[in-house]
Amino acid sequence: MSNLLQPKSHVILGTVFLIAAFAALPALLSSFLLFQVSLVLTYAMAGLGLNLLLGFSGQVCLAQGAFFACGAYTTAILNTRYGIDPLLTLPISTFVTALVGVAIGLPALRLPGLQLAIVTFGIAAIVPQLILKLGDFTGGVTGLNMDVPVPPTWFFGDQEAWLYYLCAAGAGLCVLVMRRLVRGDTGRTLRALRDNTLIAQSMGIDLTRTRLAVFAISSGFAGLGGGLYAILNGFISPQSFLASKSIDILVGTIIGGASSISGAFIGAVFVVFVPDWASEISPALGALIYGLCLIGMMLLAREGVVGLAIKGVRHLAAARDLQQSKQRSPAPNAAIGEEIRP
Amino acid sequence: MLAVHHLVAGYGSLQVLRGIDFSVEEGSIVALLGSNGAGKTTTLRALAGTIPSKGRVTLNGTDLLGLPAYHRTELGIAHIPQGRGTFVDFTVEENLLLGAITVRSRAQVAMDLDRWYEAFPRLRERRRQPAGTLSGGEQQMLAIARALMSRPRILMCDEPSLGLAPAIIHELFATLERLNEEHGTTMLIVEQNADLTLRIAHKAYVMEAGEITLEGSATELLATPSVQRSYLGA
Amino acid sequence: MVLFLQLILDGLASGAIYGALALALVLIYRATHIVNFGQGEMATFSAYLAWQLCEWGVPVALSLLIVAILSFGLGVGVFWLVVRPIYRAPSATVAVLTLGLFVIFGAVCLWIWGAEQQQFPAIFPDMGWTLGGVRVTANMLGLIATLCVLAIILACVFRFTRFGLAMRASAAEPENSALVGLRVERMLTLGWGLAAVVGFLAAVLIAPHLFLSPSMMVPVLIYALASATLGGWDSPMGAIAGGLMIGVAESLGATFLPFIGAELRLCIPIAVALVVLLACPAGLFGRKAVIRV
Repeated sequence: MSNLLQPKSHVILGTVFLIAAFAALPALLSSFLLFQVSLVLTYAMAGLGLNLLLGFSGQVCLAQGAFFACGAYTTAILNTRYGIDPLLTLPISTFVTALVGVAIGLPALRLPGLQLAIVTFGIAAIVPQLILKLGDFTGGVTGLNMDVPVPPTWFFGDQEAWLYYLCAAGAGLCVLVMRRLVRGDTGRTLRALRDNTLIAQSMGIDLTRTRLAVFAISSGFAGLGGGLYAILNGFISPQSFLASKSIDILVGTIIGGASSISGAFIGAVFVVFVPDWASEISPALGALIYGLCLIGMMLLAREGVVGLAIKGVRHLAAARDLQQSKQRSPAPNAAIGEEIRP
Repeated sequence: MLAVHHLVAGYGSLQVLRGIDFSVEEGSIVALLGSNGAGKTTTLRALAGTIPSKGRVTLNGTDLLGLPAYHRTELGIAHIPQGRGTFVDFTVEENLLLGAITVRSRAQVAMDLDRWYEAFPRLRERRRQPAGTLSGGEQQMLAIARALMSRPRILMCDEPSLGLAPAIIHELFATLERLNEEHGTTMLIVEQNADLTLRIAHKAYVMEAGEITLEGSATELLATPSVQRSYLGA
Repeated sequence: MVLFLQLILDGLASGAIYGALALALVLIYRATHIVNFGQGEMATFSAYLAWQLCEWGVPVALSLLIVAILSFGLGVGVFWLVVRPIYRAPSATVAVLTLGLFVIFGAVCLWIWGAEQQQFPAIFPDMGWTLGGVRVTANMLGLIATLCVLAIILACVFRFTRFGLAMRASAAEPENSALVGLRVERMLTLGWGLAAVVGFLAAVLIAPHLFLSPSMMVPVLIYALASATLGGWDSPMGAIAGGLMIGVAESLGATFLPFIGAELRLCIPIAVALVVLLACPAGLFGRKAVIRV
């Protein structure tokens, strides 16, 4: 039997280590790097939402950037116009974005996959224009400046660290919700809908309601990420929410691995750091290098980084099993396990 | 004409054929029988080149090993898969023309089109209909005609009777027999329906679990008690 | 009334461009079930090549011919090197791959030729007539005529030639096509080459008007995506019709719906596409796949 099924103690130990590592980061990283990591966390939240839609329910939505913007602007507007404390705006942003998600989902989800992708992409492309058009509300091209939440007196670190912990908390919340959804009954329903819609429906799964619920949760995640993004930056403008935002989130999700929770984080790291590294290597060719990375990643790792890792582990485990079985029976039958290669 | 020696094939790490040997004489009908999972379809796929295989397969002396599917079709292997390989959104006539897509001479294509419309008048009636709207039996006729448009050396049919009503099946096998008698078309027919197949075949093989367990002339096998028990419901 | 006709004519002219790029997208989609997000940038790259040849003194017509052939090669090369290993992968993976193409070709154009806008030589003579108050330019007529000719040629090739039949079959039923002896991958490669030439054509038609720049085709891509969606992704004629419809809708909408104005122009194709899709989910000319249970 392969050793992929690790005993529970290992999992617990691993999780504890991970949490400790996350908690200790502010002490280890420079202010700017910490800021970038917080940025990664906000993107990861949007990415988790997309994972939920794409990886687990099989629906391609390219409007995550639009929901991200919705969350960000809701938070910013509530804070600048109505003076609401930034942290209190977050639940409202999440909820409002989820509502917007449902509103878009109602007509959009009736469309087949390709058409859904294109319509949602169109929506993402419109967002900056819409923000400009509603300039009275949104501050138009000049953007909105937000109050940055001051860390409470009992907090031992500086502002950067406080913001980081906020983002980490938000991301952690999303991960918990996602884990609960993905395991158990809801997860099975989602996967059934993804793998075979006809059969799932004939078994009584309410297609529309489930899909809408997933859409709402997914956009909620993006809304929370967007709100935190606004708080983190202290300033937002239409420029921050071009269609490329949605593309970045999609790219991150696929590169990390569309049906994995950790994939969302890995992908967000890629999307935040690689373009910068690429332009450091060569300012003129930065974009070219980024594009080559995208293509290279897809050619090498179709299921994303996490998928590649899983395959790698499986290969190692299978090799180890073969080794062990060879040691036990010294005269193996050559026909067993012989793979037919073209 | 077709000689198969120690054919090994499978899907990934799942090995299905464990090294089978058989041959098909020119102008004869050979039946390949066996129950579900015996490896009959895998055999045809390996011969057609749609799945990788090992072993020696020669068609009139030409070694087929490593050749891709389209090349084998050009050499004269016509494979009608389970499900008939119909181009559902294309018209009957387009289906037939696709069968002859590798034929260079337009005159030959036109001549063959007429010939097969003669042999299958129902196809001519429906020549402009989308092939997906034809009944199962008609699609099977279309599949045979389409395969014959390329003037193949050997026609390989995978379970032609699948999903057809008994009366249609009789008509189908009668057609196959007629084709063989009038045109000398060599055939390799894979079937679960042993009875009808053995009645039109000259030679037959029985497969079980990826190996050939019985071979002989069709009349011999019809009389064999084990075959009668397992496949003829006797 | 005169304004109405003028707007329609203007809309048809710009719609011809959207339709042309949409056609390229649909050709690739029919062949390989891929939406090539990099189609516009590949076309821009080819347009730059043509412009460069003209700058070096090569006559315009000859430049266009040479680069048309080069674009075919570009399409074939991209398919063979980058797409072929992966075109059976999940569609999201392939989408990211084509986004990579989008980024790469845009970056190459920027790197080689810089960001300033360039003047592309006009294809059609600078003439115009006023008929009953409506201004008609040679350029407009040229665009619409080119699109019609393209549509007719493709329709004839696909419907009446063996080659067209082979291409349609390879795209629709690759497994069955292999069984009748078609070299499916060769057909797909040709499809990509052909689509690249059509994309190049679209870029060349719009470049004189929009000025050549690395991001010239980006908005056109969005309109083209909407057009292809509207027309139905498995219908080349649908793509062209969709493009024309969206061109006209945008032209009329921007003028008659004041709240849209310049900022929300992009809303129109999306809204139109969405409305049509709600009635016909597969697009106006798309075929609803019959799912046999």
